[in-house]
Amino acid sequence: MGQTQNVLSESELRALCVFVVKCSRLAAIGYWLFSLALVLLSVHLALADDQVAVTVQRPWIRAVPDVMDSTAVYMVLVNTSSIPAELVGGSTTIADSVAPMITTKEGEGLKQVVGMKSVDALKIPAHGTLVLEPNGNHLMVMGLKEHPKEGAQVDFTIKLEPGDHEIHLKIPVQKKPVP
Amino acid sequence: MSVASSKTTSVPSTPPRRPFFDWRVWTVAAVLLVAVGLSVLFGVKQNAQQGFFGMRLFPLKTAYDFKLTGPNGAEVRLDQFQGKTVLFLFGFTHCANICPTSLTNLTEVYRALTPEERKQVQVVFISVDPDRDKPQTLEQYVTSFDPSFIGLTAPKPTIDQTVLAYGASYEMVAGPTNEPNDYSVNHSAYTYLVNPSGKLELLYGNEKLADVQRVVSDIQAVLREPRS
Repeated sequence: MGQTQNVLSESELRALCVFVVKCSRLAAIGYWLFSLALVLLSVHLALADDQVAVTVQRPWIRAVPDVMDSTAVYMVLVNTSSIPAELVGGSTTIADSVAPMITTKEGEGLKQVVGMKSVDALKIPAHGTLVLEPNGNHLMVMGLKEHPKEGAQVDFTIKLEPGDHEIHLKIPVQKKPVP
Repeated sequence: MSVASSKTTSVPSTPPRRPFFDWRVWTVAAVLLVAVGLSVLFGVKQNAQQGFFGMRLFPLKTAYDFKLTGPNGAEVRLDQFQGKTVLFLFGFTHCANICPTSLTNLTEVYRALTPEERKQVQVVFISVDPDRDKPQTLEQYVTSFDPSFIGLTAPKPTIDQTVLAYGASYEMVAGPTNEPNDYSVNHSAYTYLVNPSGKLELLYGNEKLADVQRVVSDIQAVLREPRS
């Protein structure tokens, strides 16, 4: 305490106190301005992103034997927007219908059975990805009218929500994923 | 200040010395020693059987000699393939994801073998859906993966007996429409490796099968095993 008195006079100390109080008021105002800016920014982002922004990577459709009446489509869906999206289905000229499917596992060890289950939608989280891959989630293509061979291209449309959004693709026919 | 510091130094701070033969210390040490010993022992044991990527069954048992219906309705038995390494799996042809994935992987495995090794390997697909998978359909299905592959099925009781003998399982699941033919089959997705002596030796889950090169190495190791 004795040392402080040596450095600052009483009037200087008072001025310092006033300064500190002013600073804290300014800081409070700054805090509220900053919060307001954040709210405005998020509103802006939400309004700007009311369109689904999803890109498709490495799509492929499995080449299957002629005796099969179904196949599967795989791809990686990347959601570049800040709102969650959903893959709800698709369509193609070569088949009757397309449905999102998940792979199910029940039981343990040897008794474990693997199967698939139709779902209404597969989620693509905001700024996240959805991977459709062999042995995992996929789009099942049912009622095949044609059996395109490896190397061919297939017109394929995927449907996304929200916004009843469609992406038109040309998908290569492959027997396995490209390494 | 000086008063405070003199107070702290006056507190006796040395705890009583722990005797050397403290039973607690020795118990902990003994437990640790046993744990390390056991892990080394098991590690060594595991290493002795290692080199295999597939899940190895131990002790090896003779694989159940299934008797199923092959192409043209002829009976096909597992024992017919004695001397060969048989890789078989259960499935159904209306399967759009798991079965074609496994069969594509097995095709890759088969084609990675030398022509000489291929003569000693047989891939068999067993349909658990005899109502829809007739022998002819099944043959067209499997041979489109590789002409050497064999597709087998049988009336339900025989299929059930075979599935049970391999500790496998399957169940029909109704599809979205109410049509009788709209159903899917949830099934065991293991590939079973029966060695040339007819013993069930290795198992691969459907995901493991994707590691083609390591499955190939396993098969080559099995083909090199000394036979009695």
